[in-house]
Amino acid sequence: MFNPLEHQGMAIDDQLRSWRELNVEPYDKLAIHPYSRSRIILMNGIEVESILFSHQFARHTDNPEVKEKLALSRRIEAQQQKAINWLSPGDETPLETTIGYEQVAIDLTAWLARNEPDPYIKQTFEFGLLEDFDHLYRYANLYELISGQMAETLTRDLTEIMPGRPTAVEHRNPLDDIRRHYDRHTVDPLSRLHVLTLVAGEQQTMNYYMNHGPDFIEPVARGLYLEIAEIEEQHVTQYESLLDPLESWFEQLVHHEYNECYLYHSFMEEETDDRLRRLWERHLDMELGQLRVACDLLRKYNGIEPEEILPPALPQPTKFQENKEYVRGVLASQVDLRTNGPDFVPVEDLGPDHRSLQYMRRVNDGGVPSEEVIDAARNDGGEYRRELIGVHPVDSLRQPSAA
Amino acid sequence: MTVITPNRATGARSVPIAMTEIPPEAAMPPEALRALAPDADLNGAFVSDLLSAFLAHEQCGVHLYRTVAGATANPILEAKYRDFLGDTERHVDILTRLITELGGDPQYVSPSARLVHAMNTHLIQGVVLASGSADELPREMAMVEAVLLAETKDHADWSLLSALRDKLPEGPSRDALSRAVAEVEPDEDEHVDWARRTWERMTMMQATSSTMMKVTDFAEKAFATVKNAVKGS
Repeated sequence: MFNPLEHQGMAIDDQLRSWRELNVEPYDKLAIHPYSRSRIILMNGIEVESILFSHQFARHTDNPEVKEKLALSRRIEAQQQKAINWLSPGDETPLETTIGYEQVAIDLTAWLARNEPDPYIKQTFEFGLLEDFDHLYRYANLYELISGQMAETLTRDLTEIMPGRPTAVEHRNPLDDIRRHYDRHTVDPLSRLHVLTLVAGEQQTMNYYMNHGPDFIEPVARGLYLEIAEIEEQHVTQYESLLDPLESWFEQLVHHEYNECYLYHSFMEEETDDRLRRLWERHLDMELGQLRVACDLLRKYNGIEPEEILPPALPQPTKFQENKEYVRGVLASQVDLRTNGPDFVPVEDLGPDHRSLQYMRRVNDGGVPSEEVIDAARNDGGEYRRELIGVHPVDSLRQPSAA
Repeated sequence: MTVITPNRATGARSVPIAMTEIPPEAAMPPEALRALAPDADLNGAFVSDLLSAFLAHEQCGVHLYRTVAGATANPILEAKYRDFLGDTERHVDILTRLITELGGDPQYVSPSARLVHAMNTHLIQGVVLASGSADELPREMAMVEAVLLAETKDHADWSLLSALRDKLPEGPSRDALSRAVAEVEPDEDEHVDWARRTWERMTMMQATSSTMMKVTDFAEKAFATVKNAVKGS
């Protein structure tokens, strides 16, 4: 039982670090455990979200004290983001980092879905999971195509690499990416943390692809990044719409800080790399201090005690683990699922003129990069897959030779 | 401080409407809402929704008074806000008891309650988030205005419950309503009356005082004048 509200944490004034402390030694891209890399990628995204949220909040107030408290915490969050993201080594290419991002998307989303108590939110997670699962397969083929290397050197076979819901059919009318939201009163605290985590993770992925796509010379790579970057925008739309808009700015601030405490606490416990474990522990201590400031603001400016909106202790921890069987099960049962507004429906229920099918035909007109990369791989010696515990669970997605 | 906001741990329940998704175990069955006050021949579902909204307004009133009591620089206003905070906490208890006595669930948060909550959240945030736009006196005025708006709605809620009580046949539901109204209505009369008089007094004092136009240190002196005015209310 760990209740962040019972811990003072590090005082904000003691949290500032020097450039020397922030300019950390990068990890060895071939030696690091894939799930340690996953934790780095996720926590970078979590800190980026905390910074962006704080900026948005600051733009909605001219209360001097609130602006000052936000500015102080935000600067520390910005340093935390640097301390984490600067662990990435310069010899890790954007495409290798991308494969890391997709491994996060798969094994994080699968874990959250497996442990999500709310059936609708769980369904939403599973729907997104199959799309990110397909992205890893497309990027892994691009990796072999343009660098001649195998993605399993990075994923170390903790995650299978094979088609999911094909990226070409993931393109939807924006109206079909909006979901119903949880209610702030009845939501399980774990569900709220899950949603906040996934919003941050997908937002970071979206930002990474939209910024790094043009880094490439190869047209097939540029095309694949722009296509998948658009899907990640769909995912951000999907996951952020699960959040209850009734939560005030101050409540949202507390929930952001609480989620950071939750994740650092989770990862501190499961981290296998000593140096990283110390970093997560230090950041937890810092977040506890930031949470205290946020709770003080909630009390002062909303008249709400943090105990009114937070659980009495942190819920069960989030973990990075293998999810091969689970993903296969979701693939087998949901690959043909689509959305109609906020509802999940079989593809055959949409009808040929459904707005999302019209949208898909429009954007796919003239060629689909996510298909072209596989065609190119097949013409270059065969497509890349890592089907580790059997043939693909969906007949139509098996390799032509294995079908 | 008392935890008054329904949440997962306290057993909050609601109904899925339009864009809200409610976990199955927290979904309020429609028949439970319809069954309210069986002796009173009411539209149970509607009244369940209404009482939940009224309770949400009282709960938000507690949050408002906690906020303004901590934010005001005027000790007289602070004392009054703390006094009304105590009353409003008691009103939460009374309304909770009333809903229970009518056979309802005070942990039910209706769709209307969500809207009431949203309006109150924006009311309170309007006061605190824009506070850098004004000097001390306009900030105090804004807080009194927020209280006036909240108390006007609160007064209307309890007046309506009083009128509803008059429509009910003799029986346990009418008795329960009568007890609640008798306990709360005098407070609500006092609250709204004080808020209106205080707002008027503070406004008139500034509008008619020649000192206000002459002094250079406008805000500080105006505040002192109003402080004295409040003392007499």
